Amino acid sequence: MAILKVEGVTKLYKDLKALDNVSFEFEKGILAFLGPSGCGKTTLLRSIAGLEIPDAGSISIGDKVQTSIENGVLIPPYSREIGFVFQSYALWPHMTVFKNVAFSLNLRKFPKDEVRRRVLASLDLVGLGGREERYPSQLSGGQQQRVALARSIVLEPRLILLDEPLSNLDAKLREEMRVELKRLIRKVGISALYVTHDQEEAFVISDKVIVMNAGKILQYDSPDELYSHPSDPFVASFIGHSTLVEGNVLKVVAGECVVQIPEFDNATLICLTPKSSFTGGPCSVVIKNGDLRLSNEKFSADAINVLEGTMTSREYRGGLTDHRVQIGTKEVVVTSHRLCPMISINGEGGKIFLCIDKSAISLIPQRASA
Amino acid sequence: MTWKANRLALRQGSIFPLCASAVAGVVIMTPILVVLWRSFTSGKLGFTVAINVDNYLRVFADKDIWPMLSNSVIYAGGSALLGTGLGGLLAWIVARTNTPGKALVELMPLYPLLMPPIMKNIAWILLLAPKSGILNGMLEQFLGITYPVFNAFSMAGMIWTFGIACVPLGYLFLLPVFLSFDPSLEESAYIAGSRPINTMLKITFPLAIPAFISAFVLNFLRALRSFETPVLQGTPGNIKVFVSRVYDSMALEFNTGLATAYSVVLVILSVLTLYFYVRATRFSERYATITGKGYRVRVIDIGPWKYVTFAAVSLYFLAGIAIPFVVLIVVSIIPYFDYDTFMSFPSHMALNNYRTVLRHASFLNGLRNSVLLSIVIAVITVLAGIVMAFTIHRTRAFGTKIFEFIGTLPLAFPPLVLSVGLVIIFVGTPLYNSLWALGLGLFVAYFPYAFRNASGAIVNIHKELDEAAWVHGAKWRHVFFKITLPILKPAVGGALFYIFIEAIRNVDVAVLLTAPGLEYGPVTLFEYFRVGQWAEAAAGGVIYLIILIVAVSVAKFAFKMKFSL
Repeated sequence: MAILKVEGVTKLYKDLKALDNVSFEFEKGILAFLGPSGCGKTTLLRSIAGLEIPDAGSISIGDKVQTSIENGVLIPPYSREIGFVFQSYALWPHMTVFKNVAFSLNLRKFPKDEVRRRVLASLDLVGLGGREERYPSQLSGGQQQRVALARSIVLEPRLILLDEPLSNLDAKLREEMRVELKRLIRKVGISALYVTHDQEEAFVISDKVIVMNAGKILQYDSPDELYSHPSDPFVASFIGHSTLVEGNVLKVVAGECVVQIPEFDNATLICLTPKSSFTGGPCSVVIKNGDLRLSNEKFSADAINVLEGTMTSREYRGGLTDHRVQIGTKEVVVTSHRLCPMISINGEGGKIFLCIDKSAISLIPQRASA
Repeated sequence: MTWKANRLALRQGSIFPLCASAVAGVVIMTPILVVLWRSFTSGKLGFTVAINVDNYLRVFADKDIWPMLSNSVIYAGGSALLGTGLGGLLAWIVARTNTPGKALVELMPLYPLLMPPIMKNIAWILLLAPKSGILNGMLEQFLGITYPVFNAFSMAGMIWTFGIACVPLGYLFLLPVFLSFDPSLEESAYIAGSRPINTMLKITFPLAIPAFISAFVLNFLRALRSFETPVLQGTPGNIKVFVSRVYDSMALEFNTGLATAYSVVLVILSVLTLYFYVRATRFSERYATITGKGYRVRVIDIGPWKYVTFAAVSLYFLAGIAIPFVVLIVVSIIPYFDYDTFMSFPSHMALNNYRTVLRHASFLNGLRNSVLLSIVIAVITVLAGIVMAFTIHRTRAFGTKIFEFIGTLPLAFPPLVLSVGLVIIFVGTPLYNSLWALGLGLFVAYFPYAFRNASGAIVNIHKELDEAAWVHGAKWRHVFFKITLPILKPAVGGALFYIFIEAIRNVDVAVLLTAPGLEYGPVTLFEYFRVGQWAEAAAGGVIYLIILIVAVSVAKFAFKMKFSL
């Protein structure tokens, strides 16, 4: 039984399609909505919560239809039995931490000792035991975040929704919290939808990721698949750590194909054919920055996919180094774990050779519509 | 949203707030529409005989129409200029100079709360009246000048009285500008070689112009709507403005057609002014450089000039605040008012005026009515304002933007005009001359303050606070009572207090809606004064002053309220 089912959801703001016929199903675990700002991910989350009303489509949580514009069904947000963690945390400033967390229990008229037990348990769970009489303004950003989480899970809903919950924290705390958040959600054993524009955050936290742009779902996959096999040039460029060029498949032979890259002075690359039945033609070529080798000298004679270029600059990032190599009209970034001793001789502006492993390349056939 | 999605949205907790707002909207619109409708019809009272423009033909055939128009503009413009200019100067002195005795000015925002407008007029008439006025008497006694130099019943007298009443608003608008001025704007002028005085004239004052214009236009509007000064000072001196003409049409001629037609002309003037106000505030938003916060403003040592500014501050404190207060109190405790008795104070002190006033059933009833009705109206108006603001900003019902317009509309209608509409509706019904009609009038007149106050506050509450309640199980009434209202508490308190203070001393709504048999305290004072019982009027006024001082003190010390008009 899928915990969430979304079918044909469309939402218009004037003429802008915030959501364009979005459909997907989600089994259980943690699902991230990833995309740039304005891609519709927050609108989608808010539609699932019932805070936005789509113009068409239906949404079910568990076995219950929550929104179906066509059938005139619209369960109000207060009856959807979900948790929600807002970007601003949205803690009520006039209530103590205890009252904030107890709010939904009190509305449902839980007995007093039951409310107390549940609130304290969920505050303990997020590591805020003993702070229940404080006011939100007396807590740090990270603690407020935890209160918001406690408030969203205190009813033990089937599903909690998190809207960029970590974006107001500083970088270091954000990295700690995302691990912690994942651990907590797993521990409570409920499913979660997680909106973020940070691909690393999405990868760390979720089991599945939906990448969105311009109101459409571009790819729905596990983080690993998304990274190694992007199915759309936008996905590849959004996830980053790769160089994207246009190519033309010259021939396809036994699981391999030869692609000509105009931007690389018409050099050809040998790569693996994508899984789907692939016939050739124009395609996008994604080259992973981390899986490339550089050398001052030509690689051995049997090495394939060797290109010649000049190194324009080098940026040391601590642990990793980006080498910018100009090949034809395109700049390729090569990320390595240390400054490569062999290439430090000529330094910047020198001639350099680049070897691209077959596995570092993925091909994205161009869509008929594009 | 599509129609289908809209219908679904409406069902979700929007219906009650929507209905409540619609009821308030109808109550507000009715007197307004009645005034407009009546102005285009002829006939007696509620009975329409014909739709025509006869009333307007009479209005524009009135040979006094042009003097009236110019009087209105001169009176409003003069008072606004005097008040805003003086207020701005005081703001600059307080914010930027080392003038001694600034603290006297810093208390000023409290003053308009304490002193009912009608009391200011009474005080200034006592001082400036051509024959019996205290100042003219002094000139005669000490300098032998028999010619009445001061005349309260002249254009200059009107501008003086209302202009002084405009000072606090000018001060409050310009003070933040001078306080939050980015010092680097001035420092770069110094570095370019400009001396402090030159910098003031070339940099500081020009950047304050937008705020000055906003305050000026708002004061202009207040003067156009003002009732007490034109009726108490203008009419005896035969200086007619639109408000006093509307009042005469109703009170003397009882010609509702004429009154409404004059009202419409006045409303058009008000709308034009409001339009300029909106333009002016937009203009000032462009001067965003001076709204930054967190600067430490530099106080400038103005050398010997500080004695000049000290004199200005002291003069304002005496003329604007101290003298009217003292005159009122003295007049209330002498047996009767004439110059010699006044000057012989304190030898003839007596409390007979208070005894007289407190024995008048009309005064006591009026006092009780005004206190009770003001409390009730403040509560109802503030709650209705919050519900309407909530409907606009927090429900998903379609088309709620219309309430934004309706809720603000009474601002364009001088309170007297609104009461004209209510008189036309209620005359001949049992509700006429009842507290119900009066309450409705006060509700409509003060609704925009409650509404705009609530609207501004709700917009500043992060929407996610409501949504968080919503997704965690709260229905609209839970959101409203458990989240919105508690968070709005400070704003609600301020609005309650403001409307109470305004309603308890209201004359311009109440004057037409009360007739013998229904008393409203401020109107009773107004009548005392018009029939020449000046000492009784002063005594009654002092009783109101004491009530207001108690109310302000309670608000300030018990509820820690901050005052800024």
